[in-house]
Amino acid sequence: MAGIYVHIPFCKSKCSYCDFTSFPDKLCYAESYMACVYREMAMRSAELKDYVFQTLYIGGGTPSVIDENYIAMLIAAAKKYFNLTADAEITIEMNPGTVSAKKIQTYLKCGVNRFSVGLQTAVDSQLADLGRIHNLKDYLNCAKLLKGRNFSADVMFGLKNQTIADLEKSIETAAYSGANHISTYALTPEDGTPIYTEYLNGELPDGDEVADMYAFIVKKLRSLGYERYEVSNFAKRGKESRHNLNYWKRGEYIGFGVSASSCINNVRMTNTFDLDEYFKCILSNHFAVVNREEIDKAGQEEEFIMLALRTAAGINLEDYASLFGADFTQKYAKAIQKTREYVEFSPKTFKIKDEYLFVQNSIIIEYLNAGA
Amino acid sequence: MANKSNIRNFCIIAHIDHGKSTLADRLMERTGQVSERDMEAQLLDSMDIERERGITIKLTPVRMFYKAKDGVEYEFNLIDTPGHVDFTYEVSRSLAACEGAILIVDASQGVEAQTLANVYLALENNLEILPVINKIDLPSARPDEVKKEIEDVIGLDASNAPLISAKEGIGVDDVLEAIVTAFPAPECNENVPLKALIFDSYYDNYKGVILFVRIKDGKIKAGDKIKTFRSDKVYEVVETGVFAPDLSPKNGLSAGDVGYVAASIKSIQDVAVGDTLINAEYPAAEPLPGYKRVQSVVFCGIYPLDGSKFNDLKDAILKLQLNDASLLFEPDSSVALGFGFRCGFLGLLHMEIIQERIEREFGLEIITTAPSVSYKVIKTDGEELFVDNPSHLPPVSEIEHMEEPIVKADIYSPPDYLGQIMDLCREKRGVFLQMTYLDKSRVRLEYNLPLNEIIFDFFDQIKSRTRGYASFDYELIGYERSKLVKLDIMLNGDVCDALSMIVHEDSAYTRGRTLCENLKEAIPRQLFEVPVQAAIGGKIIARETVKAVRKDVLAKCYGGDITRKKKLLEKQKEGKKRMRRVGNVDVPSEVFMQILKTNKD
Repeated sequence: MAGIYVHIPFCKSKCSYCDFTSFPDKLCYAESYMACVYREMAMRSAELKDYVFQTLYIGGGTPSVIDENYIAMLIAAAKKYFNLTADAEITIEMNPGTVSAKKIQTYLKCGVNRFSVGLQTAVDSQLADLGRIHNLKDYLNCAKLLKGRNFSADVMFGLKNQTIADLEKSIETAAYSGANHISTYALTPEDGTPIYTEYLNGELPDGDEVADMYAFIVKKLRSLGYERYEVSNFAKRGKESRHNLNYWKRGEYIGFGVSASSCINNVRMTNTFDLDEYFKCILSNHFAVVNREEIDKAGQEEEFIMLALRTAAGINLEDYASLFGADFTQKYAKAIQKTREYVEFSPKTFKIKDEYLFVQNSIIIEYLNAGA
Repeated sequence: MANKSNIRNFCIIAHIDHGKSTLADRLMERTGQVSERDMEAQLLDSMDIERERGITIKLTPVRMFYKAKDGVEYEFNLIDTPGHVDFTYEVSRSLAACEGAILIVDASQGVEAQTLANVYLALENNLEILPVINKIDLPSARPDEVKKEIEDVIGLDASNAPLISAKEGIGVDDVLEAIVTAFPAPECNENVPLKALIFDSYYDNYKGVILFVRIKDGKIKAGDKIKTFRSDKVYEVVETGVFAPDLSPKNGLSAGDVGYVAASIKSIQDVAVGDTLINAEYPAAEPLPGYKRVQSVVFCGIYPLDGSKFNDLKDAILKLQLNDASLLFEPDSSVALGFGFRCGFLGLLHMEIIQERIEREFGLEIITTAPSVSYKVIKTDGEELFVDNPSHLPPVSEIEHMEEPIVKADIYSPPDYLGQIMDLCREKRGVFLQMTYLDKSRVRLEYNLPLNEIIFDFFDQIKSRTRGYASFDYELIGYERSKLVKLDIMLNGDVCDALSMIVHEDSAYTRGRTLCENLKEAIPRQLFEVPVQAAIGGKIIARETVKAVRKDVLAKCYGGDITRKKKLLEKQKEGKKRMRRVGNVDVPSEVFMQILKTNKD
């Protein structure tokens, strides 16, 4: 299985927690940028002619901020240059402050079949704190436009002044508005973002409070019929994001646009984070890759384990054996023994117990370096 | 043979920071031993640590030539000595190789504790003492009062003491001239069997062990067969020479000379500093009086951070020991820390320096345990033993009673700080002996103090409570019966042997409390709740809890994050590798030293 990722680095304004590659003041470059993305696809076309892609994910930034016709052209280009299956999952990220009925109609017409909407929180004052451009009303409007469609909502926790009741309201808003998939993200204060100052001043909830919120989320979403399939992702049955599952299964993917990453044939590549440099490279017929790393067998195995243990299903032991030619239980006997209270086996899988998924790092590290 | 009447072997003694190394530099400069151009501040302090800390640790000999006013050229052999209280042992070694000692006294600070201690050592060794008053260029200099102090407190005639400023180069010629007149020439008997005092040694990668010797009788040259008095191994001398101040080959040394001998000695344990070097074919019958065997005062465990580096650590300690005979060690093992060494040191500074040298000079990362002293244990069956490692203490039921080492401490201070000093000594279970006013601005306080109370931070405390004005010296005077108990630390129910300590009963509760509080902060949260308990015998006296970790997860992990997230996990794994497992609890290596901090708040 393989996926395509396209990065749209434009936004109306930068959110206070955001450290992704996005340029709030450069929307005027959208046309040239998209032209470069189509061209980059064309440049990769021959090399990937034997690949079959089952997902296309348009992320950002804010993909919904640019003219919807660019998205239509983008999907057309993807279909032209690559073998995108007829039933491919095509997702676009949307900011509720940037949508319209017309946009959504265009998206649907050109093949988008999954939407990812950034609700973040149902409390307007907290949205303002985060520097979001939308409010609760915008989200509800957006959800109305998506009624009956396959869409996901993002909810954040660990926000300044956020209470469990606030969180409950956010989750219920997402669920009752019809989202069949909900991603919940703990606010991560990255150095260099405005929110980092709040973190340094102790204004954000501490780890224990965040853990309480997470425990609440898991319980609440389960009661609403959403099953956790990865530490941050919950879905109604059969509505898991195939594109993201591919990452956690260590599948292959090709990324286009500024800062996009790829992993093809065990080579990881990252495009430049600089918009001008991206233009220059593509317009002179060069790839914009600034970082290229071949992953050796040991590295592949580490990635496979680290990613699979994030998921509720855990490691598929047969997949492991066929990929790495070893018996997982034997090879990791020492690590398994060391972490025995926190992990469990089913006949075909090995996973971190549900209650320890939120403290998974200290368990996963026992399995790095082949359990050494 | 050369006339030895023009040789002067001497050392410089002083309280720390009174200007010993600076005067040594000045003497070398004046005698043309080094040109001003090559002059580096504190030439004799060749170790990085010595220069950085501005202290002398190793003794360094150097030879100089001086043409005196009587027209005769004299050969001076100077042996620089450490000034810190910990290094009394090294001082006594260099004294044994000399006939005279220059006593430097700071013109503003006057006689200090260490000054006195070193003078007594010099007198024990029958050395002539030449008092010199340094730093007379300082505005606060009071040379006349200091002269009187030297006469009153030490009982030395200071009327002719040169008044100098080593830093400014004032009065250095007076010192050179006084060396000629004040110190006797060495007694020399060349036509008797060789007797040479080994006063120091170090390991050279090319030449093997280099012995620093003072030839007392006879002579030695390349090709001679030699041995030491206490060992039967015979070596052939490859090279002899003098210190200029680097090793400078000179064929043949004879009675009265100070120099070095290289004899392809490979095994560093074969030559003990303090032993007498003799000729294997014409052995002298009696050894020179050795000096007191080194006595370790402070002990601690040293373990490699990475358990597989045990042999590297062993090599490092062996090599350091060759440079530093006062470092004692034996292999040791701990449940928590694995294989390592129990080391004995002259004092806390000595311990710190050795730890730093292992890390710097050998690039090894180490874990050290809290320092301890050596306790005398009298068992119910009458057996007596010395225990410096708390985990080797016999079961309580077998102990009749315990005794702890006591020191007599001399504290010199301006009278303004008497209250603070007395408070500190009381807190440290000190017994007041007496107080003497040396003059209106200086008082000497004498106390008996348990050594285990001063090994932690007494020195720092006295300095901070008196703004650095007080000075302090101590000597061991014996053992006293005391109510001592073993304080154990339990992590999740398991005793962590590396954290056990022996404390006085009265302070056990407070110490246990503080330890638990500190450990609670220092131990990272684990996947389960970890009780941290302090216990005496089977009785828990304090408890804290390290709560279970509840959030330890990388937020979103999608296509672009995988490499970065993997690196974060690897870093976390690295961090965990640096921890030690006690039972099922991961404990950061620093924690084992953290105990030291208990007294610092």
